[in-house]
Amino acid sequence: MPHSITWIDRLRIERVVWTLDQRLYDLPRRSRIAKRRELRDNILVAARDVGTSPALRRLGDSRRLADEYLTAELGEGPRHSWVAAILFGGTVPLLINYFLGEAASAYGQAITATDPNATGTFVWGGVHHLQETVTYTFTQGQASITGGAWTPVCWALWILGTVLAGRLWRLLSPVARQRRAAPTA
Amino acid sequence: MTSGHDPQLLKGVLSLLLLHMLAEQESYGYEVVQRLQAVGLADVLEGTVYPALARLEREGRVTARLVSSSAGPARKYYRPTAAGYAALVTGTATWTRHTAIVNAVLTRPVPTTPTRGS
Repeated sequence: MPHSITWIDRLRIERVVWTLDQRLYDLPRRSRIAKRRELRDNILVAARDVGTSPALRRLGDSRRLADEYLTAELGEGPRHSWVAAILFGGTVPLLINYFLGEAASAYGQAITATDPNATGTFVWGGVHHLQETVTYTFTQGQASITGGAWTPVCWALWILGTVLAGRLWRLLSPVARQRRAAPTA
Repeated sequence: MTSGHDPQLLKGVLSLLLLHMLAEQESYGYEVVQRLQAVGLADVLEGTVYPALARLEREGRVTARLVSSSAGPARKYYRPTAAGYAALVTGTATWTRHTAIVNAVLTRPVPTTPTRGS
């Protein structure tokens, strides 16, 4: 006998579908959306057939299911993680900018603490290796600041950190596999 | 309806079963699960079958098409490709050979009590 699906059942199904979707972010967008839609449709058919609770139970743990989908799509073995790379690449600049800004600000505050009506140009070398030279120009204690950008070393460290966090070198192995598999002319 | 299958044993042969089922009849994900259950494989869960279909599609052994459904959104129907049919033939031959060997061993008579080592 077909089971009716209430709005609570719909919510439970959507929760499972979107939980899985969040765990499939390392897949290409089109593939992830296709899997989400297909899974939702299959769960709805199963829920009408056997009821929502058994249908969801027979799916198993969403973490394991996501892992199986990722293995099916990306192959066995260790994989890259776009989520980790984006998290690192997005969060670390905010933290670095905060600390570099605070360091430059501390230099300016030290000048005004010494002479509240300071006038002139003051140059600070910046945080070693990470920050370009910071130049303060004071007029009667009013400061304007230039410089303080990331150095090439800082940019390189950020890129390196992003690659390491996302294990992005693993992206090269499928390409290498495809090249090896391709017939030679 | 049988139950208590060895999951590892089933996992090893699931791709072959799916290819055979889809060669018999083009089906969508849940329909394949229902057909597996109908032949007695009640332990094969949806969470195992759906990724296995995705793997077969990635390997180029099945192809999929969307078919509109009166009961909701379009459903994704799978059917084997030429490579899938070839894999089915090879896989079936391998499976038959293995089961023949295993059966030959398992049907040998064994002593009813453990023998003592000399």
